[in-house]
Amino acid sequence: MNDRMPHLWRLAPLVLIAALAVAWQLPEASWLRLAAPDAAVADRMTATLDSIGEEPRVLVGFDPDIGTYAETRPTVRTLLADLLAREARLAFVSLTAEGRALGSAELARFGREEANPTRLLDLGFIPGAEAGLVDLTRGVRLPDEGDGAFAREVNAAGIGAFDAVLVIGGNDLGPRSWIEQVAPRIGEIPFVAVTPTVLLPEVQPYLASGALRAVLGTPRDGAAYRETLDLGNLGRLTDPSEPRPLPLLIGMLVAVAALGQALGARAIGYLRASRSREAG
Amino acid sequence: MTGFFGTSTADLVATWVAAVVTLVVLGALLGERRLFGWTQHLLAGLATGFLALIVLTELIGPRLVQPILADPSSRPELWVGLALVATAAASPWLPRQVSVIPVSIAIGALAAFALGGAVIGTLLPQIDAAIVRPGGSAATTLGGALAVAVTGLVLIGFLHGVPRGRVLSTAAGAGRWLLIGGIGGWLGFLIFSRLILLVDRIAFLLGDWLGLVP
Repeated sequence: MNDRMPHLWRLAPLVLIAALAVAWQLPEASWLRLAAPDAAVADRMTATLDSIGEEPRVLVGFDPDIGTYAETRPTVRTLLADLLAREARLAFVSLTAEGRALGSAELARFGREEANPTRLLDLGFIPGAEAGLVDLTRGVRLPDEGDGAFAREVNAAGIGAFDAVLVIGGNDLGPRSWIEQVAPRIGEIPFVAVTPTVLLPEVQPYLASGALRAVLGTPRDGAAYRETLDLGNLGRLTDPSEPRPLPLLIGMLVAVAALGQALGARAIGYLRASRSREAG
Repeated sequence: MTGFFGTSTADLVATWVAAVVTLVVLGALLGERRLFGWTQHLLAGLATGFLALIVLTELIGPRLVQPILADPSSRPELWVGLALVATAAASPWLPRQVSVIPVSIAIGALAAFALGGAVIGTLLPQIDAAIVRPGGSAATTLGGALAVAVTGLVLIGFLHGVPRGRVLSTAAGAGRWLLIGGIGGWLGFLIFSRLILLVDRIAFLLGDWLGLVP
């Protein structure tokens, strides 16, 4: 029996994945909510978007990380759809290759979902990391196909044409780089961000100091923000399916059990050692 | 459902390729490491290839070569840039004293921008924000004082090998426990966010690939 145990333990990840898959297929449980009960963070984002006026021009620094984009993707798509519902015009720019790849994919998705193309501008990839960001504050290079009214405004006023900056973080050049390189060089325009949880300690001080007006940095805050919106027809631009809380709960319980098992084994070992010392 | 894939043949092929690669990566959990290693190489190769492609098509082509070809004499700085690109590309065959020039310029410029930005954009505003203002609420003041106390205790916890008395030892112990507590809380956050990534992959397999969910 004991000889089989190592082989059975090797199947544990498969069992976990199967359990998560089954849980994902189950109907939503009304007693489980992903959204944070305190919607203060979501309200702060909404209030900031409300404050930037009608038909705002928003510069979107799109540099998520391929590995963690799935965490922020539903919130990013909802936020972009929310901005479009506010008649915003969005100019996308990326400073990393991964950000450019994901930005291209999202713009292609906007095309498939028939988003208004006159409200979208693809500024492409800017090389040079921090130097590229500084270059962006001195002049915005337009793509060859950028000949609409929005493109002409950006061409005339450069980065001064924008009413707000939205940074989709996750990669090396996230909100911190934008705050350090762009914010001191341009006027007082609001910076908001969506980041994966791993960047939260990095962006929290900027939120506290007011350099960032609003940040959606955890899945629960993102879910709370998504819950507050009614995008109507533009709901087609959001993620097709919301993350389901039941598989997440099961995964958390398994993780806690695994950590608890390790701690329990150490505690038992410690007790046995102390007993044997007493007996000796 | 990720929403990345449409209904065209190319999208269908992309979905299948993504599903197979996802299964190979998940197969590493069962001990299948060879295929997993190949997918890592595939990812590294694709990322490098994509970076090279966008640098060629969005930088070197339109912003360096094309302006030079259009009017070779009007932009002398571009010739310097072209020489640096050529030097970087030929670095394996050039003397070290020459090949380090473009790398040194790149590192020096990035370090200068990063340092200046860190001071102007982060350090000074954060120091300014940390100063307790007379008009602030009691809760803000208390929160700031608590943050200072925790930061101080954790910093003291890093004092190793320094002669210290009972008070300092107690403070260092408290600092280490606060650090462990912070790391524990952070681990919980990260487990939750990583679970979302795993569940998203399962949702992709069930929804985008197998079509089991509308």
